[in-house]
Amino acid sequence: MFVAAEFRDREGVIRALRDLNSDGCRSDDIAVFSDEAIEFPRDALHRPSHMSFVVVMGAITLCLVAIGFVYFTQYNYPIITGGMPTFSFWATGVVFYELTMLGAIITTFLWFIWESGLLRRGARKPTPTVEPGLIALRVECESNRSDGVSDLLRSAGAVNIRTLG
Amino acid sequence: MSTLTKPIPYDEVRRDLWRPLSGASPTYLITLLVLSAVVLWGLCAWGYQLYEGIGVAGIRRPVFWGFYLVNFVFWIGISHAGTLISAILRLTDADWRKPVTRAAEAITVFALMIGGLFPIIHLGRAWLFFWLFPYPNSRLLWPNFRSPLLWDVTAISTYLTGSTIYLFLPLIPDVAQLGRHATGWRRRLYRMLSLGWTGSDQQWHALERAMKLMAATILAVAVSVHTVVSWDFSMSIAPMWHSTIFGPYFVVGAIFSGIAALLIVMSILRKTLHLEQYLTPHHFNNLAKLLLLMSLLWFYFTTAEHLTVWYGNEPKEMNVFGARVRGPFAPYFWTMVFCNFVVPFVLLGIKKLRTITTATIASITVLIGMWLERFLIIIPTLSFGRLPAAWGRYSPTWVEVSITCATFAAMGVLYLLFSKLFPIVSVWEFEPHQGPDA
Repeated sequence: MFVAAEFRDREGVIRALRDLNSDGCRSDDIAVFSDEAIEFPRDALHRPSHMSFVVVMGAITLCLVAIGFVYFTQYNYPIITGGMPTFSFWATGVVFYELTMLGAIITTFLWFIWESGLLRRGARKPTPTVEPGLIALRVECESNRSDGVSDLLRSAGAVNIRTLG
Repeated sequence: MSTLTKPIPYDEVRRDLWRPLSGASPTYLITLLVLSAVVLWGLCAWGYQLYEGIGVAGIRRPVFWGFYLVNFVFWIGISHAGTLISAILRLTDADWRKPVTRAAEAITVFALMIGGLFPIIHLGRAWLFFWLFPYPNSRLLWPNFRSPLLWDVTAISTYLTGSTIYLFLPLIPDVAQLGRHATGWRRRLYRMLSLGWTGSDQQWHALERAMKLMAATILAVAVSVHTVVSWDFSMSIAPMWHSTIFGPYFVVGAIFSGIAALLIVMSILRKTLHLEQYLTPHHFNNLAKLLLLMSLLWFYFTTAEHLTVWYGNEPKEMNVFGARVRGPFAPYFWTMVFCNFVVPFVLLGIKKLRTITTATIASITVLIGMWLERFLIIIPTLSFGRLPAAWGRYSPTWVEVSITCATFAAMGVLYLLFSKLFPIVSVWEFEPHQGPDA
């Protein structure tokens, strides 16, 4: 089951997150909802990301694909180069550069979709409605722990505590 | 210009920025109608050119690149508004950028769409444009990857893809909010575009990371795009084109015209959508100072480019140089210097004169000047080539003029439609407990 609570300020959420961590809640079971981007200290809520690494890999992959594509097509469909090399890295470097960047751009977008869970099919967890200016916190827990979690959230400054799902 | 602003409550921010999305005033409709008519006229002119052939344009031997290529370089330059303003300011965490970025990012996408059309219009047989793309085909012909013109295709395709994503990503939280409040087809549109955004911390973190990575990538692409456009010219051994500083010279010019376009758009939006509280004199002041800086940089590059040619006194180069500064193109050249340097220097350099109105006036003159600059780079070199026997003149026909006017109108139409569908200022970036300049 899910326990949802609303907070008026960021500090209250941070207190609640730290209390939930020390109470044994996993960060995967916790979600914070808001109408704005809020940064939390690592000890309160840590969301590791591989986006930078994946983007670099995406860029390198498309760069290699571009080099291979240009190399093989230039040899398979050779044009008259007036004695110059059929495949010239310098003369085609711009194409590789641009496609490397395209790889980075597309990978960033796709990884953003993946990491943020957008468009993901399957059963969705209930989403609490957030009033503008408020921050909602949702905790997934066993039904026998819901009272304890509610008390913990209340002591951290939560208002409007309710259960979902 | 005053730089003081007071914090605005978040509810008021949402109300103010969503207000322009509903309803349409008679002025809005009339403007949209007039601009659409101009676009339609331009399309008719293009249709006429497709039917009759490229001969109806004024491009003749030796001037094979006329208005179409001038417009291409001009619009690609304008597209630098979004990325340079938005990405640099986002990477440097400049808070004053918040009300400005979306307007700038939209300019980028629309200018690229318009600019990217010109090489296709210039092709003559526009319906065969897809031959530019490498795909398995029965002709056993592949594009020449070593041609700077193909570099353009890859660069502009990459830039357009990147700019569209860069505009779309920060739009997601706003359309998600709008999807909860809108009704009818708008609700369906916003919900579809929000991709199921719930505002969870995981999504916010992913968005912030993606925006930072995109900002860094798009900056590198933006610089490369205009450098590649400049290489269309400088890779040829034509007088006053074969220059090593053409890359940075073009990039500076692009940022210069991009900022000018952004200032004009902001000024119009501020007045028509009543966004005085969001697009404050502070934003105009900062952008005006940036415009002044770019004007000085542009002047420096223009002087360096022309002085080295004059000092070198190479006859072929001097023919073009002479045509530009004291020959048939001299009126355009000195108008360009006046518009790009004298006007911004006086209006924006003197603090007392620097107001929203003067910044807008300076921006208009800069756009005129920058269009003339593109014209002066392309036409004189082709008119006064290496062989005096092959010299020739260029004068545009009504077809080229109509298509040129239509592109400016198309920019207006696209912007009017965009501002009616999406908040032109990013709502979520105004944190609920803070004002626009907090």
